[in-house]
Amino acid sequence: MSRKIKRHTLVELIEHWSIAISGIVLLFTGLGCLPLYKRYYITELPGFGWTADFYTVTTIHYIAAIVFVSAVIFHIFYHGIRKDFALLPKKGDLLKSIKVILAMFGLAKEPPLEKYLPEQRIAYVGIGFLIILLIATGIIKVLKNLEWIILSPTAESINTLIHTITGFLFVLTFIVHVAVVLFIPSNWPLLKSMFTGYVDEEYAKHRHSLWYEKIRNN
Amino acid sequence: MQLTRRKFLLLSSALCTSLILGNEAEAAEGKYATLIDLTKCDGCKGESIPKCVHACREYNKSRFPEPKKPIQPYWPRKTYEDWSDKKDLIDTLTPYNWIFVQKININGTEINIPIRCMHCDNPPCVRQCPFGALTKQPEGNSVINDKLCFGGAKCRDVCPWQIPQRQAGVGLYLDLLPKYAGGGVMYKCDLCKDKIKVGEEPACVVACRERLGEKAVFTFGKRMEIYSLAKNAKEKGLYVYGDKQNGGTSTLYLSSLPFELIEKALLEKKERFKMPLNVKNKIETTFNPIGKVILASGFLSMTGAIIGALASKRSSKEVKEDE
Repeated sequence: MSRKIKRHTLVELIEHWSIAISGIVLLFTGLGCLPLYKRYYITELPGFGWTADFYTVTTIHYIAAIVFVSAVIFHIFYHGIRKDFALLPKKGDLLKSIKVILAMFGLAKEPPLEKYLPEQRIAYVGIGFLIILLIATGIIKVLKNLEWIILSPTAESINTLIHTITGFLFVLTFIVHVAVVLFIPSNWPLLKSMFTGYVDEEYAKHRHSLWYEKIRNN
Repeated sequence: MQLTRRKFLLLSSALCTSLILGNEAEAAEGKYATLIDLTKCDGCKGESIPKCVHACREYNKSRFPEPKKPIQPYWPRKTYEDWSDKKDLIDTLTPYNWIFVQKININGTEINIPIRCMHCDNPPCVRQCPFGALTKQPEGNSVINDKLCFGGAKCRDVCPWQIPQRQAGVGLYLDLLPKYAGGGVMYKCDLCKDKIKVGEEPACVVACRERLGEKAVFTFGKRMEIYSLAKNAKEKGLYVYGDKQNGGTSTLYLSSLPFELIEKALLEKKERFKMPLNVKNKIETTFNPIGKVILASGFLSMTGAIIGALASKRSSKEVKEDE
């Protein structure tokens, strides 16, 4: 009988997808805050007329930020207090990541893995850093629009630039994240578990042997 | 050293304070304002060019754009905005003309309206420039940094008066992706930023007074004083424009005719620049209420996370039978 192993709790699934969906909206409206959509005819696509109005685009950006900011803050505090640190990088992850990535293309043998892949742990910290930077600079933008804080002109410029540049980096990491999941078949069981919360026991045994052993010993 | 919660809070508040205050920080409302009394403006009758316009062009000419030709169109579009062959235009706003006098005839009365940037209290151009190229200075003026401006013209789109003007073929975008992103540099009045920084008056104000003396159209001064001048004028039956529009600005117009008539006339004549009466500051009316929700939900979520984490018991057995 094939058994399934729980990989993600419902809370984690909700966190992931609320960050993902609001993140995509933020990304699209964030790009729309740059004066590009009109030039590139996006505003003329059926259903995208609203992107021509910067005020509408920014309003939607703000609304999506409610979900995004809440989910990220929840994630940090919930898992921080519970000490769920399996996604934080460990010593030697950099070298191991290279092996795992090579293995994804059939160029090397995959080392035994924990619950998360070493390159997932590194990516987590990288994306996490960008997200924190985006949220921090975004909140400063909200506060200065509210005039609850008055920034010096230079500080306002720098904050805006950091938000815009980090936004571009976020687009890049988002594309890599999605591509690695979609185009590399060995990662498909992980995609499935992001919807169901479970992976097959066989998969866990085979790929995440260190994690599997740990669960079995518990 | 361990980062305790107390240390973290101390550190972050110190960081925030230094970011917030800087040494240029001032209150949201600027130090200065301008009164433009339309009852006194005759558009410099008899002069080849209105004094304010001439003074502005003279004072700022060293900052006018000198585009590299040929100018590339804004791919994939075939157009680009180039005013460099129309440098002599004085009856509209261009990258080479940051103030002009709008003439309009209302029921036989000729009205002359000097038009330039209003310098809003909460300027949409500054707040929404994605490159931080626009800043609001402590003096109250909004300033475009021509070194940082990409020429996307978003500032013009979000400005209720469409004031900033674009010149292609100059600026930062030429060094990055000239074909695909950016469109030049935006230009507009910045109240002669270097002059007012050292306590002098903008060039237009000085030039007007040289011609009209006591009866000058422009009065530049401390914001409080300008606002109270406008208030007094209102009590005497004049109409005021600019105090309420877009949540308040530092440019107040006085007129003996209601601004409804001026708005209507400019609309009817399809003039390029208009004076809409009902201008809401959407940063304040739309963004800010949602902004408060973002902040509040952040705190709520933090509280929820703390309670949830403490209440949750980590399940040790995470295996279940497949049905």
